Amino acid sequence: MSTLTRRGFLTTSILSTAAVASTPRIALGAATPPRARVVVVGGGYGGTIAAKYLSMSDPSIRVTLIEKDPVYISCPLSNEVLGGERDLASLTFDYRGLTRRGIAVMQDTVVEIDPAQHLVKGASGNRYTYDKLVVSPGIAYDWDAIEGMSEAVAEQIPHAWKAGPQTRTLRKQLEAMDDGGVFYIVAPPNPFRCPPGPYERAAQVAHYFSNHKPKSKIVILDAKDAFSKQALFQAAWQEHYGDMIEWVSGAQGGIVEAIDPETRTLVGSFEEYQGDVINLIPHQKAGALAQVAGLANESGWCPVDQRTFESSIHKDIYVIGDACIAGVMPKSGYSANSQGKVCAAAILAAIDGEPAPAPSYVNTCYSIIAPEHGISVAGVYRLEDGKIVDVPGAGGVSPADADARTRAMEQQFALDWFRNITSDMFT
Amino acid sequence: MPMPDWSRAIGVGLLIAFVPSLYAQTDEVRSASMLANTCAGCHGTLGASAGEVMPTIGGMDKGYLVAVLSDYKLGKRPSTIMGRIMQGYKDQEINAIASFYAAQPWVSTDRVAVADQLAEAPVLHERYCESCHQDGGRGQDTESPRMAGQWAGYLQYAMQACRDGERCHPRKMRDRVTDLSDDEIVALAHFYESQK
Repeated sequence: MSTLTRRGFLTTSILSTAAVASTPRIALGAATPPRARVVVVGGGYGGTIAAKYLSMSDPSIRVTLIEKDPVYISCPLSNEVLGGERDLASLTFDYRGLTRRGIAVMQDTVVEIDPAQHLVKGASGNRYTYDKLVVSPGIAYDWDAIEGMSEAVAEQIPHAWKAGPQTRTLRKQLEAMDDGGVFYIVAPPNPFRCPPGPYERAAQVAHYFSNHKPKSKIVILDAKDAFSKQALFQAAWQEHYGDMIEWVSGAQGGIVEAIDPETRTLVGSFEEYQGDVINLIPHQKAGALAQVAGLANESGWCPVDQRTFESSIHKDIYVIGDACIAGVMPKSGYSANSQGKVCAAAILAAIDGEPAPAPSYVNTCYSIIAPEHGISVAGVYRLEDGKIVDVPGAGGVSPADADARTRAMEQQFALDWFRNITSDMFT
Repeated sequence: MPMPDWSRAIGVGLLIAFVPSLYAQTDEVRSASMLANTCAGCHGTLGASAGEVMPTIGGMDKGYLVAVLSDYKLGKRPSTIMGRIMQGYKDQEINAIASFYAAQPWVSTDRVAVADQLAEAPVLHERYCESCHQDGGRGQDTESPRMAGQWAGYLQYAMQACRDGERCHPRKMRDRVTDLSDDEIVALAHFYESQK
């Protein structure tokens, strides 16, 4: 370990001239060499947290955060944009708060990782050397799973599963749809980002339809036979929106095998469905960078040591967030936050030559079904035999018989979840 | 035929005997910061909440935090989600989380007072609250949390829930808030929020 670290320092000093030339801000700190260099790739729910908590815990570590976009648009709460309750601007954050913390935030697209050289290459031509690298690349889509689907087709049949332009496209399509139209949501098989997301989306769009196009229908064609917070969602759909939302399980023919984007026809295992607006959420895998860097296995996701999030494939590279295989933790924003902190603590210990600390992980996730009706799921986790497992007796979903005050509180807490988790990320 | 190597056999036996304890990681001690940082996604970095019904917990009295978190765990304090979460922690872990947050600096909200909402609030505070929540709500102890600089949304909820009998501890608190109207609770909540 110590020899590796020393070699890391050597590499660092040899290449530091190049880094300083391209990033004058860093040069200010160059007088005192950093104790270690950590590069974090991906400025979302996982990467910002790993960068911030590393820098908070030990200012003598030089932390560089590489993110391809100048701003971040949050996926959590973006279903409210589809429901007409908020705009994308309210979900948009910049990185100035992290810069103020002394983190070098670089807008660059990583094109290659060289694990042997401990080197990250950016599309800008910049090269970043690291002692430890954290990769939080999110998800990519498996376009081959549904015939007729492609990245190009997704421009007209939007997934809106990364908040941004496609969220806007889908909202416009819903606004343009005639009253009495049918909106199809195609829900992906496990595992995928944000397990309750498709079902909250149905509720948010139903809220919009109820007020503006009450004769319309929403049909969820699901690859699965069960889903997150299912009983709560189904009861709440019925209560607020009557029969507007229909869920077709995989066994009932919900598995979509092909799409004809021109006629907006979905080919299911039993029948075909023709929709006025289609939101096809594709099958998923670890983000593109994880695939390019060889951090994913045959499952499409990244195997890691679940105590530290260090890749099982490449030493000194850590994978957090949706891209990694993290035991029973769902692929959620809060999971990524929690993993970022565990990973930061493990990296600090490794830099100090100490064993990785005993980890603690939490997930909390809210869904907003109606203006005064929120529901939640919580998970408390620990490591057992190298796997992240539930702490027995803890966690679970909101009670089915929650009173109106509790539901309204949970809707309020959903908004505060967002305020606080984004302040944890960006301030 | 070679003699069995007893010393090695005993060694292997001992090793096997120790394997369960080596791998039974459920007994690993987790550090206070490791445990406490998982709360920050909802309660803000180091417990300084970004609002508005989610309370700031950084800088609160340790005894108060232990009592509240333990009551959540035991189901003695009604909650939407905290009960489900706290059941995942041992008593000494709750103690560690409370110690961590008690050691953080209190960060007041940056909200300022809105004059017409607050006219009667200082009088209400003196009459109903100051005897426990001393120094204008800045004081705190095991039974009385700090209120100055806390989010109004949370304070309003806490006072209403107490007045309506949903969640009230200690009992003497209910005797005080039972006389307060909704408007008075809102005024008090904003008054405390604007205090630093």
